[in-house]
Amino acid sequence: MTDIGSKGARRAGGLTRRGALKGMGAAAGLALGPGFVRYAQAQSSEPIRIGFQAHRTGIGAAYGRWYERVTEAAVARINEEGGINGRPVEIVVEDDGTDPARGAEVVEKFANQHKTDIVYGTLFSHVVTGSAPAAGELKMPYYVVSEGYHVASGRLNRWVVQPGITDVRSQVTSVAPWISGNLGKKVTMIYPDYAFGHDHRDFFEPAIAAQGGEVIAKVPIPPTESSFTRYFPQIPSETEVIYHVMVGPAVLTFVKEMGDFFGSGGPALFGFIDSLEAVALSSPGLEFLEGSHFWEGMARYAQPDMPDYERAYREAVGIDDSGASLDDPKDVSTAAHMFGCWETLYVIKAAMEMADYKGPDDRAKVIEATEAMSGFDAGINHPQGAKRFNGKLHQCFGHQNISLVENSALKVVHRTSIEDGLYEPEADYTAQPF
Amino acid sequence: MRRPPSRPAIRRLAFAAAAALVLQPQAAHAHAAERGFVLLLPTDYYLFGGGLAVAISFLALALLPPAPLLAAARRRLPLAAGRPRGRALVSGLSFLVLCGLVLAGFTGSRDPLSNPLPLTVWTLLWVGLTVLQGLVGNLWAWLNPWYGPWRLASRLARRLTGRARPPLRLPRRLGHAGAIAFFLAFAWFELVDPAPDDPERLARAVAGYWFVTFAGTLAFGYRAWTRRVEFLSVFFAMIARLAVVETSRAGRAGRRRLALCLPGAQLSGARPLPVDGALFLLLALSTVSFDGLMATFAWLAAIGVNPLEFPGRSAVMAHNTGGLLAMFAALAGAFFAAVALGARLAGGGPPIAAQAGLLVWSIVPIALAYHVAHYLVVLAVNGQYALAALSDPLARGWNLFGTAALHVRAGIAIGADSAWIVWNLQAAAIVGGHVLAVVLAHLMAFRLYGDARRAALSQLPLAVLMVAYTTFGLWLLAAPTGL
Repeated sequence: MTDIGSKGARRAGGLTRRGALKGMGAAAGLALGPGFVRYAQAQSSEPIRIGFQAHRTGIGAAYGRWYERVTEAAVARINEEGGINGRPVEIVVEDDGTDPARGAEVVEKFANQHKTDIVYGTLFSHVVTGSAPAAGELKMPYYVVSEGYHVASGRLNRWVVQPGITDVRSQVTSVAPWISGNLGKKVTMIYPDYAFGHDHRDFFEPAIAAQGGEVIAKVPIPPTESSFTRYFPQIPSETEVIYHVMVGPAVLTFVKEMGDFFGSGGPALFGFIDSLEAVALSSPGLEFLEGSHFWEGMARYAQPDMPDYERAYREAVGIDDSGASLDDPKDVSTAAHMFGCWETLYVIKAAMEMADYKGPDDRAKVIEATEAMSGFDAGINHPQGAKRFNGKLHQCFGHQNISLVENSALKVVHRTSIEDGLYEPEADYTAQPF
Repeated sequence: MRRPPSRPAIRRLAFAAAAALVLQPQAAHAHAAERGFVLLLPTDYYLFGGGLAVAISFLALALLPPAPLLAAARRRLPLAAGRPRGRALVSGLSFLVLCGLVLAGFTGSRDPLSNPLPLTVWTLLWVGLTVLQGLVGNLWAWLNPWYGPWRLASRLARRLTGRARPPLRLPRRLGHAGAIAFFLAFAWFELVDPAPDDPERLARAVAGYWFVTFAGTLAFGYRAWTRRVEFLSVFFAMIARLAVVETSRAGRAGRRRLALCLPGAQLSGARPLPVDGALFLLLALSTVSFDGLMATFAWLAAIGVNPLEFPGRSAVMAHNTGGLLAMFAALAGAFFAAVALGARLAGGGPPIAAQAGLLVWSIVPIALAYHVAHYLVVLAVNGQYALAALSDPLARGWNLFGTAALHVRAGIAIGADSAWIVWNLQAAAIVGGHVLAVVLAHLMAFRLYGDARRAALSQLPLAVLMVAYTTFGLWLLAAPTGL
């Protein structure tokens, strides 16, 4: 058995990769682990088993690596503090291959084979959407960290909650006031021409209109495109702000070609760091981004006025002041998203303790306890900041960071209010029966 | 209480949900991966230059007399001679290690990057050992997990039955058909199956294949089975012909001589392969090529998949099965057509099958080059995961080799500098492999025709194919990818 929360898992400056959750042997005996001695006196030393649906392989593997590290760090800390209801937390990792069909199979495996208490994970929206029906059928609480609007849209089911990361609709809505007030009111949007880009288009247009601004042109780019110069003439000359959300391997080419096109001038740029998550901003080709702004869920670079709990979180997950791995400075983290794993695990802990969770029969109670929550205070359990939680929507709302690229680093220049990201709710999961 | 839904029911649900995705808003996180940095490099020049280097090599060879090359291929630097012992013991130990790995697959970590079985099979064996075989020779003859158990079992059987020969004979007309079928199954599992990394699934496949092979060696004899059916032995033996270390028989039975030679020198004297053997080698190359192709935007666009939200392997199984077979058919077709056309240009010569069987050996360095180039990053990163996993194979908190807590440095493959280094190593491997292939093909052609001019003429179409394959190989490594 692995040594969750034991000293063996710790190392100066962070956790080792395999400390807390090297995947827990399917048949490995818990009693063997020296880390669990402390729980012997607990009321029930039976561990809480959390199935971690992870992108270990497939298109999401780069995110999966960091989601795993953060999960490992959070679980180690939770166990050090006595676990959940005095019971140690054990993580069982299954790889979903970033594949919706496998995602559903993994949820089923957690329920029927590994007998986990709940399921937690994953990032990619299509995997969440593919797995959610299985979670509903199996009556398995499914805590996701994907920032998709799919949860709050009401399209999933009562067993799926997203309490640790805000959704894309909220993110897009919340940045509109600042863009209109600081960069300009005439916006041209450049986005990949599929669902992800369409979300930004559909959510941002009304949000900027509400601020008296206007999307004056939309430049959808085919997803298979790898050269962009021929699209730039579509940008109207009166454009004050270019809102860009390109993703994929051609992002660097996109930025470079935009720089070649505009030279030292051009409109202001506003982007979502999703485009460059885990990519060093000092990378060649990105020089043109200097002076532009990005949305960041959580700051990648350490900020001078950073609260102590944020510093402690960064230390626990093992990232340096540039947001890269302490052990490997070229391995830039997915800082803007991965905090969601940490915060979600703390919501799970709170919900299970509120529900006085004893075993699988209490799974519905955990969902009800989560639904009863109204928000979370900023602190080490919620290092990204305070959150409001809407139990009917199963979705949290929080502050967003707007950061300036300065000297190839990101400096937070504005933090939106929670209210900036609120929108008219479209769902009420509590009306659904379990 | 309702019964939990069955697995097919879950699958239906998943597919229904996945099918509904097009209508749903979602966040995507397709990541500006390392390929993004390669896209910024002047790869077009490399594609052109690589092809040109291979073309010039061909022209230079056509103008030069083959004698110095033949002399170089014959050079040997003797290292040692003796009667090596302990092969059965080494293989037996390897078998025990395999048992442990399969046990780990069933009972160890569920995480494919923490379980030693997938890391050993896909990274250490398929990637690492292939490269080692190509450098130092046929280690697999010693390391395979069947020789030792087979020796033991066949000796027991001889004592019990008094028979020395295996009970059955492998029909000669089957040729390498068994190896081709098993290799195809292996490649399909690696490239098309939704979860080849899943430890339990892989453990079942490995255990099943071990039993089938063990039974095959007992029934048909070790030599026959491992030379014509056990695909790893066939593949590794072919790759080992490229090595710079040669073992040869030296006089008295059992005595072996170890010598150093130039890369590919052992191949220059190789006997021709039968057509099915040639097909096996072409299959091996085509699968690695398809592994590269299936991740490219070009392939994904061709099969109607948005590369920025790849729907997962389970959604593209039919397309990738077709692609895998089509790639094999295309490469094999192009190779045999080039040989036939070359024979026609040169006017006669030995039968096409015999020419192809000899010339196909020139594919070996290309196959190894693709292997190195394509899996370089996998070897560098997953090799570290393997080191960590092997220290704690059953996820029990052990630290057998002191590497269990290794922090995997993915950074060695991250960023613009790494991308530049990796790309140049890959390009060097691809171009170097093809240049060596042109040299070998030239020597083979000289053996076939005995005349430098006709040999060069016969090589013209194959040289064109190799230039094209060089460019294709570089393009595979430079093109935008969605996986």
